[in-house]
Amino acid sequence: MATSPVDPLLKQLTGPNTRSLLRVIILLTIAAAAVSSRLFSVIRFESIIHEFDPWFNFRATKYLVQNGFYSFWDWFDDRTWHPLGRVTGGTLYPGLMVTSGIIYHVLRFLTFPVDIRNICVLLAPGFSGLTAFATYLLTNEMVTSPSAGLLAAAFMGITPGYISRSVAGSYDNEAIAIFLLVFTFFLWIKAVKLGSVFWGALTALFYGYMVSAWGGYVFITNLLPLHAFVLICMGRYSPRLYVSYTSWYALGTLASMQIPFVGFLPIRSSEHMSALGVFGLLQIVGFVEFVRNQLPSRQFQTLLRALVLVIFAVSFGGLVLLTVSGVIAPWTGRFYSLWDTGYAKIHIPIIASVSEHQPTAWPAFFFDLSMMIWLFPAGVYMCFRKLTDEQVFIVIYAVLASYFAGVMVRLMLTLTPIVCVASAIAFSQILDTYMSIDSPTPEVQANGTPASASVAAASAMLPDGLRSTRNPIVGIYSYTSKLTVVAASTVYLMLFVMHCTWVTSNAYSSPSVVLASRLPDGSQHIIDDYREAYYWLRQNTPENAKIMSWWDYGYQIGGMADRPTLVDNNTWNNTHIATVGKAMSSREEVSYPIMRQHEVDYVLVVFGGLLGYSGDDINKFLWMVRIAEGIWPDEVKERNFFTARGEYRVDDEATPTMKNSLMYKMSYYNYNALFPAGQAQDRVRNTRLPAEGPQLTTIEEAFTSENWIIRIYKVKDLDNFGRDHGSAVAFDKGNKKKRAHKRKGARTLRVE
Amino acid sequence: MRWLFSFLVLALLGAVQALSSSGSRLLVVLEELAEKDKYSEFWDDLRGRSYTLSFESPKNDKLSIFKHGERAYDHLILFPPKTKGLGPSLTPKLLLEFLKKDGNVLLTLSADHPTPSAIVSLLLELDIHLPTDRNALVIDHFNYDTVSAGEKHDVLLVPAPKALRADVKNYFEVDGTIAVPRAVGQGLGNTTPHLAPILRAGSSAYSYNPKDEAEIVEDPFAVGEQLSLVSAMQARNSARFTVVGSVEMLQNEWFDAKIGAVGSKEQTTTANRAFAAKVSEWTFKETGVLKVGRLQHYLNEGKKNVNESAVGVPEHNPGIYRIKTDVSYTIEISEYTSTHLSPFVPPTADDVQLEFSMLSPFHRLSLTPLAQTANSTIFGTSFVLPDQHGIFNFRVNYKRPFLTSVDEKRQVTVRHFAHDEWPRSWNISAAWVWIGGIWVTVAGWIAFVALWLYSEGVEKGVKKTQ
Amino acid sequence: MPPKNRHPTSASVQPSAPKSTPSAPTTTSSKPLNANTAQDIVQNVWDKYVQRTPQRVKLLDTFMAFLVAVGALQFVYCVIVGNFPFNAFLSGFSATVGQFVLTASLRIQTNPENKAEFESISNERAFADFIFGSLLLHFFCVNFIN
Repeated sequence: MATSPVDPLLKQLTGPNTRSLLRVIILLTIAAAAVSSRLFSVIRFESIIHEFDPWFNFRATKYLVQNGFYSFWDWFDDRTWHPLGRVTGGTLYPGLMVTSGIIYHVLRFLTFPVDIRNICVLLAPGFSGLTAFATYLLTNEMVTSPSAGLLAAAFMGITPGYISRSVAGSYDNEAIAIFLLVFTFFLWIKAVKLGSVFWGALTALFYGYMVSAWGGYVFITNLLPLHAFVLICMGRYSPRLYVSYTSWYALGTLASMQIPFVGFLPIRSSEHMSALGVFGLLQIVGFVEFVRNQLPSRQFQTLLRALVLVIFAVSFGGLVLLTVSGVIAPWTGRFYSLWDTGYAKIHIPIIASVSEHQPTAWPAFFFDLSMMIWLFPAGVYMCFRKLTDEQVFIVIYAVLASYFAGVMVRLMLTLTPIVCVASAIAFSQILDTYMSIDSPTPEVQANGTPASASVAAASAMLPDGLRSTRNPIVGIYSYTSKLTVVAASTVYLMLFVMHCTWVTSNAYSSPSVVLASRLPDGSQHIIDDYREAYYWLRQNTPENAKIMSWWDYGYQIGGMADRPTLVDNNTWNNTHIATVGKAMSSREEVSYPIMRQHEVDYVLVVFGGLLGYSGDDINKFLWMVRIAEGIWPDEVKERNFFTARGEYRVDDEATPTMKNSLMYKMSYYNYNALFPAGQAQDRVRNTRLPAEGPQLTTIEEAFTSENWIIRIYKVKDLDNFGRDHGSAVAFDKGNKKKRAHKRKGARTLRVE
Repeated sequence: MRWLFSFLVLALLGAVQALSSSGSRLLVVLEELAEKDKYSEFWDDLRGRSYTLSFESPKNDKLSIFKHGERAYDHLILFPPKTKGLGPSLTPKLLLEFLKKDGNVLLTLSADHPTPSAIVSLLLELDIHLPTDRNALVIDHFNYDTVSAGEKHDVLLVPAPKALRADVKNYFEVDGTIAVPRAVGQGLGNTTPHLAPILRAGSSAYSYNPKDEAEIVEDPFAVGEQLSLVSAMQARNSARFTVVGSVEMLQNEWFDAKIGAVGSKEQTTTANRAFAAKVSEWTFKETGVLKVGRLQHYLNEGKKNVNESAVGVPEHNPGIYRIKTDVSYTIEISEYTSTHLSPFVPPTADDVQLEFSMLSPFHRLSLTPLAQTANSTIFGTSFVLPDQHGIFNFRVNYKRPFLTSVDEKRQVTVRHFAHDEWPRSWNISAAWVWIGGIWVTVAGWIAFVALWLYSEGVEKGVKKTQ
Repeated sequence: MPPKNRHPTSASVQPSAPKSTPSAPTTTSSKPLNANTAQDIVQNVWDKYVQRTPQRVKLLDTFMAFLVAVGALQFVYCVIVGNFPFNAFLSGFSATVGQFVLTASLRIQTNPENKAEFESISNERAFADFIFGSLLLHFFCVNFIN
């Protein structure tokens, strides 16, 4: 896959043929390593689509392949968000599906009948190889040393931070988006360096592709203007910048507006305004520069400076005004939560409830980036030393991405490429310094040799640049120190590889649809409750049976069970999700009319109490309550789910609201029967359950999976004789109805 | 040929079938089989309507209304037991189960014996209330039969029932007066829509226990028209359950008894026989049965598309429409009357309505009869779909007292405009300016490129000459 | 140069749109400068421009002036009449803006004064790039206007 893009590279190489051949081989090996380490999941489990979002992407891809591009574009999905439906064609980023669709058709054309599922499963590893290559190109633009590029490619290929989103089966937008991100940045750097419309237009094209693939394109939309802006502020305006930026912006904006989901956003929403602003600023600056060239009068220049400032202030004011007056959409909630991590928790619980929107825990950085986390600042520092246009870019990228990665877990992904690039620069500097065999002027050797390796490393790394002007020939020429450092760094590299492999195989290869556990004898035991339940739905329910579940499982039900769902992981309609939350957290008598109104046939809950599976619905329950409370503050109150002492309990001391909620009842219905009387134990929350289990009247148990992880309930029809379900169930149990004649006061007369 | 043959078979089957739309196996549960002769005229009437009657005593251990989990009979007539209850094979639970499986039940009560508590609790489940005093019967001092109950005033003379409301059909219209001897009055709950009184007592009637011998009745169970003498319950699945307050009124002696109303010397014959026939016809689904034939909805593209009746033809309705399109809906409804399907004509004050709903109705339209075939009426309407995409239901929910319920739901998807269904830019006159702008730019660009290339040639030429 | 006279109005109405080179002197003349000097400066610049600029750059400038005029007209129309088919307005307007920017780039790249900045880009290469960019631009615009 990587061979064809390498060809132009071959021609550009100045070195001897053998060296470039070697380079190609190394790159290919890196790509192979990148792909193969991502196949752990296929080997350890099977070729299956992972997690949640990929199931939707997979389903959409199947639709695309079956029905063609145009009907995909116009796709109105009536099997999600029942009964609202989703204008899917206009509300998704089609890049991923179209890419795999194209690959599918190309392979078919070449008479390779490949199952679309396999393409989807293997797309992410395939693109990770390309990402490694793009990283190589990007790094090569930064430094002259070719080893840095190769190192960066290798880092990018195996770093867990990227693998976490691109193992085989993780068929998500990020799978191709990271490649596009890196490649767009490479093209941008190229464009800025050369000042060419061609590269600018290519940047725009790939930017357009990126826009079609991932919502994270906003990162590019803001990073490039910021780069340009910083360059202008540093007084580094050049016609090259003008050419590259304006051609990128003019073409890229138009290209991005071709995507139906994006539409007018680039000129309407605040996230995109910085790009527009810098575009305008560049016009002014370009014009001013032009005039300055025409008239070298000093007084005139100051006047123009003032003019620039005034225009800038006026346009900024206009922007604020437009935003306030509502012409330009203000920042979205997700965007606010980038600046204020507490914002989402207070205002938009739905955003905060997504686990990947949580702030990153510190260990995650070490876990995902390993040794690069300490090489990264060194690399950034080295960029500071030279500070050419492109290195400014690295610095800005590094600063921004580190911040964002700290705010949201999922943005770790955008940080990873720059960490790889920066640490490769640092690492290759070390290697270049210590691995050069020739020692030029040996008489000045005395300076550094006697020092021990660590001191030498420090002196070589840091003060070198500062002193270099004074003392031009400083270096390490002792073989021992060289060997020590090289050996140490080799050990580090080895450790890094070991770490990456370990993390990949143990942490990131689980499909989360299939769970693995260890039996006492050490053998692996597969827990396949999810698929068991989804296939039960597929085989035993009518094709149009509407399934209500918490939104986490919406995509999986749609993809695996092929049944309409009420809400899914595309959380576009908060009210609808809150409706489901209310149904789950209310009493049966309240929930039943809601379920009837939404034509719900089955309710699905995830219950981990038997197995100790902590990601179950009772643990997510508070989010349901919170989201429902956001819409119906009078009917659902989070406080009522906590005991008087503020504890969230499910045992005897649970509050009546908790015990009567539909979710609690569905989770623990009949659970007592598994245990001797009074011994029922919840292994997730480690509590003993009340002796008497909950009773259900409006729904009935339909299916419970092997390990009780998934429980499915059928919503009863209205009673045939117009009774409420409570009394109907009581009658069936043999309880006689009390005669209703003891009532006092006026009799209610029947009126026809 | 094959279809012709099967058609013939079907036709023959139809000929031997009962007049009921739901089967002919009728079980009469009677405690003392000797008593059945008292009702022979009623049985003859039923047999005349081609029911096959079986008589069983509730004491019979082998009696079962189910066989292999299915109903063993289509209809059930329960006579009031003299003992405690109806026995283990006819518990309230089983009777409700029978109703759930579309069986019909005609329950008779008698004031001669206290009503067993099993039946009371069964009726209570259906929101039909009997007097707390088990021996109470209905007495009317103004409308009694002077011939047989000049003293006790416990044989009521009730005029034939009129339509319940203006918008409800009357299936119990008979000529003459109905005599209701010693009836147990029923009170009907007023929350459930499944209940309707068939025969109500006169406004001066009240429930009273003659054994009390009290001068004044304080707080009677019910009075006047609140007392229902014959009441009907139709479950959601249209299974019918009729309570006849007086079993005696079905006896031969009351079928042609001479009665005299208060204040008139003239003696007339009762209309009990006709009324019993009407009640049993209704209970066993010979009347008031609606049948939905072809249901169509289609995109209205100008051409008339109402098809002639074709009951049983599979539907070929589109599953998806676009917003703001004109859609027509037709539904074919027949009413079964004793022998055949005939066109259904709703009462004058009533309409069959169509809802087009997602969560709540976006349209609620009255359907107008478009055409009539030999045995059905085609109702229809057309309307413009709302500007809201989603999953909608065409729903006709026609539930009226004494008519089997019609609840037809058809799910359709209403989609948004596809990308090529928006007006093209050149169709919008306001866009012409900007189309012009683009093409002027393009033209200018081409001119510029041409000039540039030309000037390049010139410059080169100039350089060469220099 | 006929389009020059139209510029003062268009440039002032259109704050966000880029200004073309020939309009520069007139814009600055609106500043609170001594009118006399301003006029002198304008005259001076104009003379310089006419004398020093090569023929092809003048051609470029004319084209840019033309684009500014078209863009300004569209913008004014939009402000007065309204932007009803918003996509049409956007594509129409951005076609001119984009074309202007690309032409400006070409002008910068082919300007002999900037030779040092663009040593890797020959005039022919710049022109080919320009054609490439413009074709892309036109494609996007025509596609977007539907």
